[in-house]
Amino acid sequence: MGALEIGLPYGLVAMGVLLSFRILDFPDLTVDGSFPLGAAVCAILIVSGVDPWLATGCAILAGMAAGFTTAWISVRWNILHLLASILTMTALYSINLRIMGRPNVSLLGEKTIFTPLEKLSFPHLYTMPIAMFIVTGIILALLYRFLSSEKGLAMRATGSNLRMAKAQGISVNHQILFGISLSNGLVALAGALFAQSQGFADVTLGTGTIIVGLAAVIVGEAIFNPKIILAALIACVLGSFFYRLVVAMALNASFLGLQASDLNLVTAILVGFAMITPKLRAKILDFKATRSRA
Amino acid sequence: MIRMTDLHVTFNRGTAMETKALRGVTLNIKKGDFVCVIGGNGAGKSTLLNALCGDIIPEQGKVSIDDQDVTSFASWQRAPYVARVFQDPMAGTCANLTIEENMALAMKRGEKRNLRFALNKENREKFHHQLSRLRLGLENRLKDPIGMLSGGQRQAVSLIMAVLRPMKIIALDEHTAALDPKTAAFILELTREIVEENHLTALMVTHSMHQALELGNRTLMLHEGRIVFDVKDKARKSLTVADLLELFHKASGLELDDDSLLLS
Repeated sequence: MGALEIGLPYGLVAMGVLLSFRILDFPDLTVDGSFPLGAAVCAILIVSGVDPWLATGCAILAGMAAGFTTAWISVRWNILHLLASILTMTALYSINLRIMGRPNVSLLGEKTIFTPLEKLSFPHLYTMPIAMFIVTGIILALLYRFLSSEKGLAMRATGSNLRMAKAQGISVNHQILFGISLSNGLVALAGALFAQSQGFADVTLGTGTIIVGLAAVIVGEAIFNPKIILAALIACVLGSFFYRLVVAMALNASFLGLQASDLNLVTAILVGFAMITPKLRAKILDFKATRSRA
Repeated sequence: MIRMTDLHVTFNRGTAMETKALRGVTLNIKKGDFVCVIGGNGAGKSTLLNALCGDIIPEQGKVSIDDQDVTSFASWQRAPYVARVFQDPMAGTCANLTIEENMALAMKRGEKRNLRFALNKENREKFHHQLSRLRLGLENRLKDPIGMLSGGQRQAVSLIMAVLRPMKIIALDEHTAALDPKTAAFILELTREIVEENHLTALMVTHSMHQALELGNRTLMLHEGRIVFDVKDKARKSLTVADLLELFHKASGLELDDDSLLLS
């Protein structure tokens, strides 16, 4: 249950990464900075007495601004997307420290958007995961609704075939600016929810966010092999749960002798395995086909 | 009326690789004209088409569509007026979107897109109807990713997609070149039908002299970035491939030695 609770904000990260990496074909490392940015903005506002809902909204806007910066550098100045995002990510580390004024802000005893849940007679162990689950579901539904609209279709065409998108009258630069902003807004929301559910914001929170999001997307694809956009959204969210579960199991399995510091190694192996699986699957099918013909 | 006036395009300007792709091409296309452009490799025919579509902005010259100067318009800004079918079957459609999603995209070519659902019962019925004329069974595969279709099928869908919205001109960029001869013939016939029944104005670039005489009402040849001849209507009716070669010889004083042009 603990794995699930920490894992749930990462369902949002997964959708954000799906949007940038897969739908817009824009590998965006900004998320490593926009996750703690969301947490920092939200935490510092709550500590200063701002309404937690408003603080969460501000976190989303901050994330969108970060994403917009990356996309603008890339689109306006024709800088490689990866490099543009590394620039923003690097800058965000300092900016996050500035925002918080210190490396760590505690939210213990502060009013968060989850505070009303504590009054429920429901066991606290379950309320938080259920609340997070509902939030993830709502965001997934909204994102699906957007991606199946005329505007959303234009965004998907931009990532799929730039030339065709232009020929259809789509301003691909606007699509990238908006899409990457949206993606980072989602990730910042995840950061804000993480800070409020875990009771703190830390400047190092973001390290590895991109790999966790990517793991979710790739593991989801390897397991579910989604063909339509709704399936892809659901697959990446389930992928993020599955990833959490496997990592938790690997680290807890005493016979493997792994410790918490091996997390990144386990992640890398899992993602690598998930990336190789579809190719292996194709090879086996090929092999079977040639053998049945012989 | 499409007017392209004194277009100059140079690639890799100022380097050892400098190539003058267009050296002052002037071409006026009347409403209802179907112009076939022919020329060897490097003659500038694709550059001319790209200059019309806005992929290339000429360093000199002017492009106007119905008296609107579009010279500085990027390709996406010209989309309301220009529909395109590309040479590469992969280029004209989004492989990982479904057939119906691709068609829904084309339904809004050059128009404002909003937050309505891109697909609904009404336009699905329309797509079904439009695809059924191809007799390829694609109307029953609306929800398949278009990447699963063959090159010929994708070109056929691209043609249907192009005419889902009104346009001033359709630009066909060697759109049968990547296909096998049988499929190419099918796509060519489909092109003729679609252009005729919608009374379209068309600019078709082709490698094949045969095609350039068979389709449309006007044939022009480019050589080294200039128009060497331009024949239309009555004057064109009785022409053969041999006559084209003769015309080329007279106009440029050269023998045509581009094998690909002669063989196709």
